[in-house]
Amino acid sequence: MNVNAAAPFRPAGPLNIATALQPYDGPWNVRLAAHLLRRAGFGGTPDDIAKAAGLTAGTAVDALVHYSKDNNLPGAPSQLDDGYAQQRELLRKAGRAAGGVDDSSLQMEKMQLQKMRQQTNVSMVSWWTERMIRTQAPLQEKMTLFWHGHFASSALQKGITPREAVDQNWLFRNNALGNVREMTHMISKDPAMLKYLDNARSNKDHPNENYARELMELFTLGIGNYTEQDIRESARAFTGYTILGPLRGGGFYFNGRDHDDGMKTFLNARGALTGDDVVEIIFKQPAAPRWFAQKLLNFFVYNDPEPELIDAFAQVILKNDFQMSPSVSTLLRSKVFFSDRAYRALVKSPVEFVVGTHQLFSIKDVTPESVGALNRMGQVPFHPPSVKGWDGGATWLNSQTVLARENFVNALVTSKLMMQSSNWLMSGPPPGAREACDVLIGTILHGDASPASATKLQAYLDGGDVSANAMLSGENYEERMRGAAYLTMAMPAYQLN
Amino acid sequence: MRRNHFLLGAISGLTVAANADGFFAKALAATSLPGLPAGGDDRVLIIVNMQGGNDGLNTVVPHGMQQYYRYRPSIGVTPNEVLSLNAQIGLNPNLKSLKGMYDAGNVAIVQGVGYPKPDHSHFRSTEIWQTAAPDRYESTGWLGRYLDSAGLPSTNLFNAVALAQVLPEAMMSRTVDVPSIAQLQGYQLASDRQAGSRSAFTSLLSDARTPFNSPYLATVAEIEDHAQRGSEELPKLIGGYKTDASYPATPIGRSLALAAQIVGSKIGTRVIYVQHGSFDTHAAQKVTQDRLLRELSDALKAFYDDLAAHGNDKRTLTMTFSEFGRRVAENASRGTDHGEAGPMFLIGGGVKGGIYGDHPSLDDLDNGDIKFTTDFRSVYATVVEKWFGKPSTGIIAGTFPTLTMIA
Repeated sequence: MNVNAAAPFRPAGPLNIATALQPYDGPWNVRLAAHLLRRAGFGGTPDDIAKAAGLTAGTAVDALVHYSKDNNLPGAPSQLDDGYAQQRELLRKAGRAAGGVDDSSLQMEKMQLQKMRQQTNVSMVSWWTERMIRTQAPLQEKMTLFWHGHFASSALQKGITPREAVDQNWLFRNNALGNVREMTHMISKDPAMLKYLDNARSNKDHPNENYARELMELFTLGIGNYTEQDIRESARAFTGYTILGPLRGGGFYFNGRDHDDGMKTFLNARGALTGDDVVEIIFKQPAAPRWFAQKLLNFFVYNDPEPELIDAFAQVILKNDFQMSPSVSTLLRSKVFFSDRAYRALVKSPVEFVVGTHQLFSIKDVTPESVGALNRMGQVPFHPPSVKGWDGGATWLNSQTVLARENFVNALVTSKLMMQSSNWLMSGPPPGAREACDVLIGTILHGDASPASATKLQAYLDGGDVSANAMLSGENYEERMRGAAYLTMAMPAYQLN
Repeated sequence: MRRNHFLLGAISGLTVAANADGFFAKALAATSLPGLPAGGDDRVLIIVNMQGGNDGLNTVVPHGMQQYYRYRPSIGVTPNEVLSLNAQIGLNPNLKSLKGMYDAGNVAIVQGVGYPKPDHSHFRSTEIWQTAAPDRYESTGWLGRYLDSAGLPSTNLFNAVALAQVLPEAMMSRTVDVPSIAQLQGYQLASDRQAGSRSAFTSLLSDARTPFNSPYLATVAEIEDHAQRGSEELPKLIGGYKTDASYPATPIGRSLALAAQIVGSKIGTRVIYVQHGSFDTHAAQKVTQDRLLRELSDALKAFYDDLAAHGNDKRTLTMTFSEFGRRVAENASRGTDHGEAGPMFLIGGGVKGGIYGDHPSLDDLDNGDIKFTTDFRSVYATVVEKWFGKPSTGIIAGTFPTLTMIA
């Protein structure tokens, strides 16, 4: 079944399937280097782009794929409180001991814990966002974001502790380009996931089907490749996959007493199957490599990829035994990746928009305003809307979220951070409006604006739209450049990736 | 956004045409305020999506069926809690406000609504309810197809409004761009105080002859244009609405307050979509569902009081839906897993209150799930034909008998 049969967002023009996944060997320039850094990272600084443009397509991809693991960035949010789960459990027990009636001091403690939780939450979002801005391994962070949206669980729900959410985040980061079958085993035992999809509370008398269903529907196979009976059987196999209580240290725990060790028939395999067996069986299905192929093509190349392209890339994944490093490397250096059809063919996600804009102006600190903007645009790291992650594509765009993008840019270009950071925009008055316009369209859009737009932007810089204002000069250049940067980033091209 | 961008025509006062290169050229028409559109007094439909799969059996409770208590030993609504409607069924006690509206004759309850071969996936089943197509993939929503056929003025940016972060598939249309507005605050441009910036802004958004082609370019340009003009127009269009109503300080309360303001301002809006949830209660169901039902019920009461005070209650129909009901037997986590059929509420001064359809049997289950007794497309066809007075052909595929709650 092809869910997207009617989606009109596949690029126009024919796909040359015979050469699509062969290494790109055409001309290499700043525009394509910027394309690579937008897709395999978040856009990069103008310096990053210039450096990549100085390499070849192949070596630029190599530099992204073979990243160094040490990057001197903080490994955890500053406010990550390890005592949260224990404290919550103690308060809960105290409440129970008091006969379920919380006295006022207990209530006060609970409120303080809740408040701390909120602060921790903002601190987590800022920590990861800042990591994405500052990282020297952009593809590692980009893949972490990909897995977070793929094996999606939301940090503030189902009693997931901040520590568990961050641990899951490191699971994705440590295995960013690792083996996805191994990652599926790990996520099946990940405390945050076991809580989020209720498997921690599943037992042989009443198996909970939530994880078993989403494991196949969203994580590995897609609808149409299993039956309701397969879900029921695999839910039995996953009974007993639970976690230790917070006072016993948390963490994955296989509870043999809750596990159903009876015979099961799952996707035509029969035996006293466990959850581990279920994962192995799933990865033997032909639908599995196809599922990851279409997800990665949609994320990196263009939406609604052709079935033959999905099949060809699925073969690459299968040949590499689900290892992501060689698979993603093949994709990023491919002809289809650097084709005109793929160029600006995706909608920037809010994270790409915010992180990329920070990088564009070398503003390395994340502010609460940037976190708020992510929320208004519809994507907060650690908080996907559902287990399906973010739908992306056209769903990023509506009246509200588009206004939020423009307002974020407007706030950023007029902020103190912008004044304080040393970046190209504030680097001194350009000789004239024409040169200023070239710098803006070159640096922000890599030339992706029509001559008519350039003319309009130049007119704005020269005060042409406001008769009282003088031509661009040493006195007004700063304000005028910031206004023009805002206008450039409001243009449709800047919303596209 | 519209889902089908092959169709280029006059949209919302803009002329969009394909030129020889296959790029899009856009000529901006004069965009003065349209003023009060014709048909401002017409009927309105409010859709409330009880997102996540609401447990129907604990919403409309079959307290007269002994099996219910056997399947629900810990989370069942007890006979003395239930707000009894008759010997067989009653409402969850958290629906007290809704029960009052029911007693006043303004609530129709359709029992056991579903569709054949039910899908237990949130995402696919939501898609089925939104597109009204259980057996195939549709690119437009059922409300989108209604909007396409309704002959609404293309100059009105607010023929339909989604009070949601993302446009629901039900509103995907070929010709009508439906704005998604989660809340009024935030639906505005921060840079409007600079006139020079504003006029340059307007002209730069229409940049269509870019040196690249993108399947999203026309969509982005259109949404940016609509967002900019719409955010300027909407506060003017609905700013004059005065109300004494007080709504609960909940997300659904705020959404319905804004809905009443839009309805009461008579700006030609026909459909307003509202989100509520999540009802996905796999574990510890009672806490979550009780709260969500109470929030919905109290917000609906405030909404209809507000509408009635302005004489709009009879022209406003509210319909709830959820992608599925839940498994009859509770699970080990005092929750319920994904199930099949569930009840729908149709509310308003134009509704003939009462109970419609049969309650599904608890003795004859489909692999642990109740079997549907009324097809959801019958309810949709009733709304299209009797509420909007349009033939449902082309909007709802297939023939489904209409119900009698709307005269």
